[in-house]
This record gives sequence, structure tokens and C-alpha cells, in this order.
Amino acid sequence: MMNISKTLLRRGLPQANITSNILLSTATIDDKIEIPKRIPRGPTDILRALESTVGRDPTAAHYKYHDDPYLIPLSSSGKRIFAMAQEAGRKAAHWVRQEHADLFQHREADPVIEAFVPPMVYTEESEVAVADLEKLIEMRQVVDSAVVYRVLKEKNVEVAQELEQGLLELLCYQNCEDGVSEEFVEERWFRQASKGKEFVKKTWKDGDLAEQIFSKMTPKTPESYCAIIQGMSKYRQMDSAVQLFEEAQKSNIPLNTNTYNSLIQSVNMIKENFDMRWSLLADFLTQMKNSNLKPNLGTLNAILYALSFMGNPKRAKEYVLQTLAEFKNLGIEPSLGSWYYVILTFCKERGPVSTILHDIINHLEDKEHQIRDLKDTHFFVTAMEMARHHLNDVALARRIDKLLNYGDNYNLIGDSYKESVYFRHYFALLCDNLPLEEFMNDVYFKLVPHIYVPEVGIMAEVLNQVDVNGAVEYIPKLWSDLIVFDQSHRENLVDCILNTMVNNEQLVTPELTESFAKIAWDIYSRSINEEEGRVHRLNLTGDLLGKILILLVRQKDFEKACKVMDRLDKNQQTIAGVPKIEALALFVDLCIEEKVPSRGIDCIQYCTDCGFPEANSLAVRLHKELNLDEVFLERLTKVVGDVFSTS
Amino acid sequence: MSRIYLITWHLPNNIKNTFHNVRHRTLQKVSLCTSSSSSSDDDTKLQKKVEEKKKSKEALDKLNKLLLTMTEDDVSSKTKLNLAQPTNKRQKKLREKQDFKESKATPTETLVNAANNVAESIGGDVKQTQSELLMKLLNVANGDATVNTNLKDLVKGMKIDQESAQGAGLSKAQQVRQILQEQSKAPRRKGDMAKPRSKSAKSPKRDVVVEKISLFGSEPLGIFSPNQNDLTEGVVNKTWNHLYDKDLKLAVTHPPSNYFQQMILWTEQKKIWKFPIDNEQGLEEEKKVYFTDHVFLEKHLEPWCPLKGPIRHFMELVCVGLSKNPYLTVEAKKEHVLWFREYFKDKLELLQETGAIQETDLGKLHADQKQSEH
Repeated sequence: MMNISKTLLRRGLPQANITSNILLSTATIDDKIEIPKRIPRGPTDILRALESTVGRDPTAAHYKYHDDPYLIPLSSSGKRIFAMAQEAGRKAAHWVRQEHADLFQHREADPVIEAFVPPMVYTEESEVAVADLEKLIEMRQVVDSAVVYRVLKEKNVEVAQELEQGLLELLCYQNCEDGVSEEFVEERWFRQASKGKEFVKKTWKDGDLAEQIFSKMTPKTPESYCAIIQGMSKYRQMDSAVQLFEEAQKSNIPLNTNTYNSLIQSVNMIKENFDMRWSLLADFLTQMKNSNLKPNLGTLNAILYALSFMGNPKRAKEYVLQTLAEFKNLGIEPSLGSWYYVILTFCKERGPVSTILHDIINHLEDKEHQIRDLKDTHFFVTAMEMARHHLNDVALARRIDKLLNYGDNYNLIGDSYKESVYFRHYFALLCDNLPLEEFMNDVYFKLVPHIYVPEVGIMAEVLNQVDVNGAVEYIPKLWSDLIVFDQSHRENLVDCILNTMVNNEQLVTPELTESFAKIAWDIYSRSINEEEGRVHRLNLTGDLLGKILILLVRQKDFEKACKVMDRLDKNQQTIAGVPKIEALALFVDLCIEEKVPSRGIDCIQYCTDCGFPEANSLAVRLHKELNLDEVFLERLTKVVGDVFSTS
Repeated sequence: MSRIYLITWHLPNNIKNTFHNVRHRTLQKVSLCTSSSSSSDDDTKLQKKVEEKKKSKEALDKLNKLLLTMTEDDVSSKTKLNLAQPTNKRQKKLREKQDFKESKATPTETLVNAANNVAESIGGDVKQTQSELLMKLLNVANGDATVNTNLKDLVKGMKIDQESAQGAGLSKAQQVRQILQEQSKAPRRKGDMAKPRSKSAKSPKRDVVVEKISLFGSEPLGIFSPNQNDLTEGVVNKTWNHLYDKDLKLAVTHPPSNYFQQMILWTEQKKIWKFPIDNEQGLEEEKKVYFTDHVFLEKHLEPWCPLKGPIRHFMELVCVGLSKNPYLTVEAKKEHVLWFREYFKDKLELLQETGAIQETDLGKLHADQKQSEH
């Protein structure tokens, strides 16, 4: 009722006037002011709101780099070194604080900021209480809490069962080791943790404190079984895990969903072929159902993970779709990690092409995704890889990229390694499939260098495209990028760029000829100056030097060309290969033009040294054009023999 | 499929390798030739040489013509494809189909002829060279699109000399070198370059049919029943779950990319004050004390202090001072005031002599002390 009256009132006046008399009376009675409910705000909400107004500026260096504009790193190794140096500084500060804890006892802030207080050092002699252990478990200090636990046990202090359980879970989760502190964000970002291979190897520490605590526990609770089985399967000690599982089954100890999940995830390590693996997996699921356990996202991901390398791709695909349907019925929405496994199953390198990625992207598009599983961060990089290698589909890659940049989805990129692999695939795909101008303007100039620094292989690809398209105007920019990215000593890239410059003579404008000559000279002088000390240095072959010579001759830079020629001539033993005769012929022509026969003769001498039969004709040409006097003619005759009388 | 793709990817290299082999062999031969010819200047040899040149020149011309026409074909098909247009899937597919048909028009025979010509112009064991070339070409010529690519790359790797006069003065070795050793100087006419450059011929496009896969449309496994509501996830591993949640959070915590993110991170690590800024943050003990206890301290004077006179005056000033001090707790302030009481008590005699304390006030000071002693 109220709504109607309001809408009418808002419309044109004459209409409203008629009805308002009737309706106003009712409206005024019903009209209550509704005060909106207070929205509770967290401590960081206002910061997040502010932060959402700041986007990523692709033309600016990352926030962590712009302390000093002079030091902004541009190559990928430079970026890594910069960030790790910063991190090392932080670590040094931590170390000083720990080593000289006595100097940091002052209390600047009230209340005291715990994060700034030197950490406690626990040894066998420390005076400890149960409360310390509690705090250490809370703070995830694995090694320290193990020490404290031992000390407590020695002193026969009673540790509550609940606390002991907490310690057991911590030890199982961390495999009795301290992880990287959460303080060191950069280290976690750049760490390339034993990637990929970690799931194959058993890393569980047999007989360590976790197992000791477990074996001493009486009575053994379901929680403790769950913890130890999960820990063992997390670190791939499957024999013991299965043994404990059977033990628990026998003594009728109920296990929880997560424990079943961890077992399901490892069926591939327990059984040998597809059928046995799948039937074991189905067994686990049935047992879950029989013990009234509710499956969760972890169960879905565990099944999909196991299927992704169970063997027999054809049936695995069927099962994947069935599993998805099953969990849809249960009201469990797959996370990005689930889709990652689906992609792995469907898009095998040696299997048939599958377009399931399209359907997945259709499903995910235009939504913001939260992290719900640790493997969620693998989705984007794998999806992009498949878009490139499996489907070679630009439109799809763009959709993936759009999804990545939607809302806060970029957080799910993972770490620096995954990020660069993601961009590598994206970049290579676009480079191969877009027209070069579009690629350079929309992609290259936008992403490089602050968001992505192309690896050597990708750079070679770009240069190759420039060569194929004859887009020589990009060469100066690309060369300066090569220098900035610290790739100027890569022989294949230098070779590529020199080829492009030499081969596309028809397209070159006078300005470009000049800058090409500069580039060539730059390449040359770099190879000379770098010779001492550097590990990676550019070794110019005779062929490359020949190309440099051509470029210098085109610019008619006689002086520099002579220097290159001298180098060729004097280092015949150390320089691999010889230049092409065209380069030498061009140089002789330039000598003729400059009227410097001695240089020409030197060059012809070099030609004969290298065994070029064209030396003779060059000599004839030199003689003809310059009308050499007696002295020069004699020298020339010494070099090539008497070829002038006949001509 | 991807396997084929891989092979095509590496194909240019393979072909190059073949050429290298061939070149190697011919070069050996040529060097033999030249050494023998340099030793003697027989007329017959010269004649032979001329003949050889003539023959090879013919072959070369033929080859060049062929290659030229092929590249020209290529260019025309390229320009046809190269309409910069918004990506329309249907059109794109159509185009791909056209491309497919066009490239199919190139018969395999042309390939064989081309290979034959190449082999002849190179000399040496013609049959072997030809078969080697053909093997490389036809092995992978499953998709016509790939053949197209290969030929293009092939052509790219060779020099096509348009001026036939150039070939006349050169020895066989030079010709071989020119053809094989030189990087492409494949002619690009100026007119061509002005047009946007297309890449359609370069990357192998496979005609992938996008078939719709219904992600959730399959028959379910049928193990769990969706309508069962009394299910739980079993016993809870509190610490484990806590650690896992923390790991999830860390997995999306990246180096801050602006100052706000930096502040968020610091706030979460409890290194800075949290919003909303409140200068009593974390002062849990003080929260229990009402502010009047801090400000109105005269009540601590009432039991003992004279009602007037210099001591009262002094003590009131002390109270004002203390009431403005934010650094002391209420307890400390009270202690402060009571310290003065003790002090004045010690100096009682002196104070009486100077008349700072009247007789009437005396009892109060003592009485209160007795009270507090009790």
C-alpha cells in the first residue's frame, strides 16, 4: 500500500493530485521511519575501503620498490634481489633483537606491543609453566613448544589433555618443524617452495615427538587419531596412516570428515591401478556415509585431486563429472581449486583436446572468489597455461585475465613464481596470435616492465615476431629493454636483433639507420667492456661482428667500422666463425668511398685469410675504383696474387 | 593433437637441420672441386664449369620462380585474412574454414616438384636430398595448415635472388652459400609493408569445436543422499583447523601494493593502533575506572585536610595538578595525596608554630589517622 502511494506521488503532479487525497491519509499513518541497522565495522574496514580506491598503475613500479626512484629495479632478477635485500634487512633486525634482547626492554608503548618485544628463548633449563605452552601453540612456535613440553614433562607438571591434543595437532600439521614466519611476507612471496614434487615424496618424520605423544596418550581419543592420521597423510607416510586407520576402525573410534579427506587424497599412493584406486575411494566414501559424516569442500577436492592423476583419463573424466553433480546435490559449491583439478584431468598433454575450460570460465565469470582451499591459488596459472598450450585461444585467455582482475580475485594469483608463469603464458599466447602493433601497444607496453618482465624465451619470441613482420621501428625500444632486463648478453637475442636489423634494409628510414648503427656499436662495445669479471658475457662470433659491420657501414661510420674490422682481423684465433662476405664487401666499398685503400687492402687480406674466393674480385674492384699507386698495388698483389693484368 | 602441434612447432628447426646436413655434404664436395680446379687450368675443366653453371642457373631460376609464386600466393591469402575486426566467433570460424579450403588447393605435387628442384639445384646425391626433404615435409603434412606454415618458414630461411644476373658470375659454392647460408632477404615490397601485418599463417590454428560440457549435468555418484540433515563432520581438531585457516589467509596475503594495504597488514599483525583511533585502546585496566575518579580528587582531602588556610590551599593545587595528569592511575594519585598527609603530620609541630594549622584542625588529622590505622 505504502509503496504504491509513494510511486504515485513521485510521478507527474496532475496524476498524483487525484489519488493523493485518498491515499495520503493512509500513507501518513503507515509511514514509519526505519532506522537502518548498525553495521559492525572491523578494525581494518576503513582501510580496506580506502584501499579499494587505489588501483594498480601499470606504469609505476610496485609499491615496495619506490623508496628511491634511482634504485627502482626493472629486471626480474633485480626485483627479486631488491625485495629479498629488504627482507634480509628485516631479518637482520629480528636477529639483533633476539641476540641483544637486553637492549629492548624499554616500554615505549602502553599497552605493550607484543610484536616488538624480543621473543622468549626456551632451553632445557628454562622456568616454564603450562601457560607458556598454551601461548606457544597459539603462536605456532613448533620447536619452542616441543622444548617447553619436554621440560614440563621432566618436571612432572600435569599438562591438560586438551592442551596435549593441541600440541599434537600442531606437531602433525607442521611435521615437527617451524614454517616461514608470517612476518616475512616477501620471503613467502618469492619462495619457490619445493614446488610440484612435494606431493610425491614422504617427508613425515618417523618416531618424532608427534608419534611419541600419540603413543603415550591414554586413552587414545578420536581427536588424536584424526590428528595423527591427517598429519601422516599430509606428509605422505601412508603405510602408518592406513595402519592407524584400520586400528581405529577395529576399536570403533569415529573419525571425522577431514581425516577421510586426507585418506581419499592419498588413494593413489595406497593402491596401484585405476580400478583398485577408485574402488578404495568409493569404499572410503561409503564408510563416511555409514558413519553419518557430512562431506565438505575438502572431500570434493580430495576426490578430484585423486582423480586428476589416477590413470585412465577417460573414466576419470566421467567420474569427475559425476562427483561434481553429486556435490552439487549436496549443496557444496566447488572452489577454484576444484576447477584446477578438473582442468588437470580434462586437459592432459597427451590426451584429446578438451574445451571444458570454456564451461568452467562461463561458470566462474564475473564473480569475486574467495580462497577456500589452499590449491585455489593454482587455478589461474594452470587455466592460462591450458589456454595457451591446450587450446591456443586468445579470447579465452582474455576472459581468464578479466576474471583475474575482477574484484579482489588477483589475490588468488599465488606467489611471484605463479604470477610470472601466468604472464608468460598470457604474453606468449597474445604475441603469437595478435597483430604485432596491437600486441605491442596493448600488451607489451602496458605490462612490461612493471607487471611482467619477459623471460629470455619470450623475448626471443617477440623479436622473432618483429623480424617476421619487419616491424623494425620497435627495435630501438626492444634493445633498450634488453639492456634493462639484463638480457643483453644473451647470444640468441643479440643474434635475433642483429638479424632483424640487417635483413630489413628496405624498410629502414635514415633515422633508424642511425639508431641501428648505434645499437650495433653498443652491442660491440658491451662485448668488449664486459670481458673482465663477468660470468655471463657476450661472445661475439664472426658472423655477429659481420652484421655489426654491415650496420655501421650503412651509417657510413667509417671509424667505428674500422675498429670492428681491426678486431676481426687481430683476433682471428679467438673469434669463432667468420663474417659473411657481403659484410666484408660492403666494408671494402666504404673504403673505396672514403678513399682509404690501406684499410681496403687489410680487409682483402682478411678475406683471403678466411678463404673467401671473392677476395680477388674485391681486389680488382678496389684497384679499378681507386687507381692504386705502386706501393698499394704491390701490397695487394702480395695478398691476392697477380689478378690485375688480366682484368 | 597437442603432439602434432609440438612437432609443427619445432619443424623449422628440423628443416634447417636437414639443410645443414645437405649443405655440409655439398660444401665438402665443392671444396674438393675448387682444390682440383685451382691446381690445373685446363680448358676442358673450364668448359665443364661453365656448363655446370648454366645448368645450375637454370635450375635455380626455376626454383626461384616457384618459390616466388608461392610466396606471392601466400601474401595474397594473408591480406585477404587480415581484416582487423572485432572478434566474432562465428566469423572467425568461417574464416578458418576458408583458410582451410584455400590451403587445401596447394597440391602435394607442387611439394614434390619443389623438393626435386631444391635437390637438383644443390647437387650432390639428388635423390637422397630430395627424399630427405620430402620426408621432413610430408611426415608432418597431416594438416594442410601446417604444410602452409612449413613452406613459409622454409622460404623464409632461404634467399630468393630476383636478379638472375647475379648468379652468373658466381661459382657454385657461392650459390650454395647464398641459398643456404644467408638469412632471408625475402623481398618485401614497400606496398606490402604499409598494410597491417598478419600472423594468421604463422601460428598453427586448429579447428577446435567448442562442445558444451554440462559441468553439473551428469548422473551423480549416488553415494551420499542429499536430504539427510543429521550429518556432522565428526570430532573437531581445533588447533588443526585454526592452523589451516591461518594458512588460507597467508596464501592470499601478498606484499602490500600501497600504503593502505601496508597499514592493513600492520594492523593485523597488531603493530599499530586499530581503527577507529581511540587513545584508550588496549588500556583494559583503566576502562574499569570512571573518569571522575581521576578528576575529582578533593574527596581524598576531606577526612584530614584543614578546611582553610595555606595547607588547604596547597593541597587543592596539588589536586588540580593531579587531576590533569593523564599518566598516573587513580591509585597513584591517591597515594600522592596521602603522602602529603604523612608529610604534614611529621611537620606538625612546625606547622603549629607558624600557625599554618589551627588547633581545631588538629583533631581531624589525628582522628583520620586513627581511622585509617584501624
